[in-house]
Amino acid sequence: MAKVTVRYYRHKNKLREKTLGLAPLNDDEISFDEELMAKAMKELDDMAEDYPDWVSGLIDKLAAVHRRCVDTPEQRFKLFEQLHAIAHDMRGQGGTFGYPLISNFSDGLYDFTGVNTSTSDTNVEIIKSHIDAMRVVIKQRISGDGGEIGKQLKDGLEAAIRKYRK
Amino acid sequence: MSNIDLSHVSILVVEDSQFIRSLIVNSLRVLGVGSVQSVDDGSQAIEFIKQVKNDPMRAGMMHIDIIISDWEMSPVDGMILLRWIRRHKDSPDRFVPFLMLTGYSEPKRVHDARTMGVNEFMSKPFTINAMAEKLFSIINKPRQFVHTASYFGPDRRRQSIPIDGPDRRVLNYDSPEVEVVNG
Repeated sequence: MAKVTVRYYRHKNKLREKTLGLAPLNDDEISFDEELMAKAMKELDDMAEDYPDWVSGLIDKLAAVHRRCVDTPEQRFKLFEQLHAIAHDMRGQGGTFGYPLISNFSDGLYDFTGVNTSTSDTNVEIIKSHIDAMRVVIKQRISGDGGEIGKQLKDGLEAAIRKYRK
Repeated sequence: MSNIDLSHVSILVVEDSQFIRSLIVNSLRVLGVGSVQSVDDGSQAIEFIKQVKNDPMRAGMMHIDIIISDWEMSPVDGMILLRWIRRHKDSPDRFVPFLMLTGYSEPKRVHDARTMGVNEFMSKPFTINAMAEKLFSIINKPRQFVHTASYFGPDRRRQSIPIDGPDRRVLNYDSPEVEVVNG
């Protein structure tokens, strides 16, 4: 008797029974309720409109933690962890809601606050530059790549990083 | 035409971003999903899954039909969660459909998730249509599961397409090394 090395599991599709009943149906006979779909799309669009307000709250949080980095240098290690977590929350979403510059800057901030990053005064200043750049993006509602202003913001941030790193 | 009725379906959403989490949860509720619970990351998801098994009343969910999870989370990310669900001895349902959500959809990531046994993959930004399409696929086109020495998860060959070159599957359903379990 050969040893079984491959097993295939073919279970009864209970999920289909729950959602469509037992009647045999072809794929083209099945759909989602169009009215519900339209309602869900509207709900998603409405919520996406709140994104700048939501992200604005996170930028305020970043600024508050940054201030504590300045005031209490001995706590920077812990505070950098907080900045890192907030940046993580922000970085995957900017692009989703039409603000890729937010993703771009929070990506940078995420890197600058990782576990192996120095908590020097220089890096605290670089963090401030990231927060300032994000604030401009949201305040002026700079969506997409931001065209010329977007380029200036990116260049400005890079220049600040170079300056503080000298 | 028959509409998919999600009112008896229970979905667990695992997403660390509060904003994205509320987007997903609200979208599912508007689509008519009967029960939606959400947690912050993979470790909370594991605890919740165990609680649903041990004390469903307290968990507020009798059964988890589908898991929708972000990939990038800390401390336990979506891939570790998926690995636990598919391979851990304490996992109460190793077959539960798993929809992975991610901001990064490079081919390598898709490949890694498939190797770990993901059912569906959805990149952010997600749309309602994309979400509906993935749910449709999970509900209406489930794949058989395959268990080998190196893989446990949905059959990665969705269709019977003629293969260009040698077929890496040396066994077939009639081979004595192959067992088909119907349930």
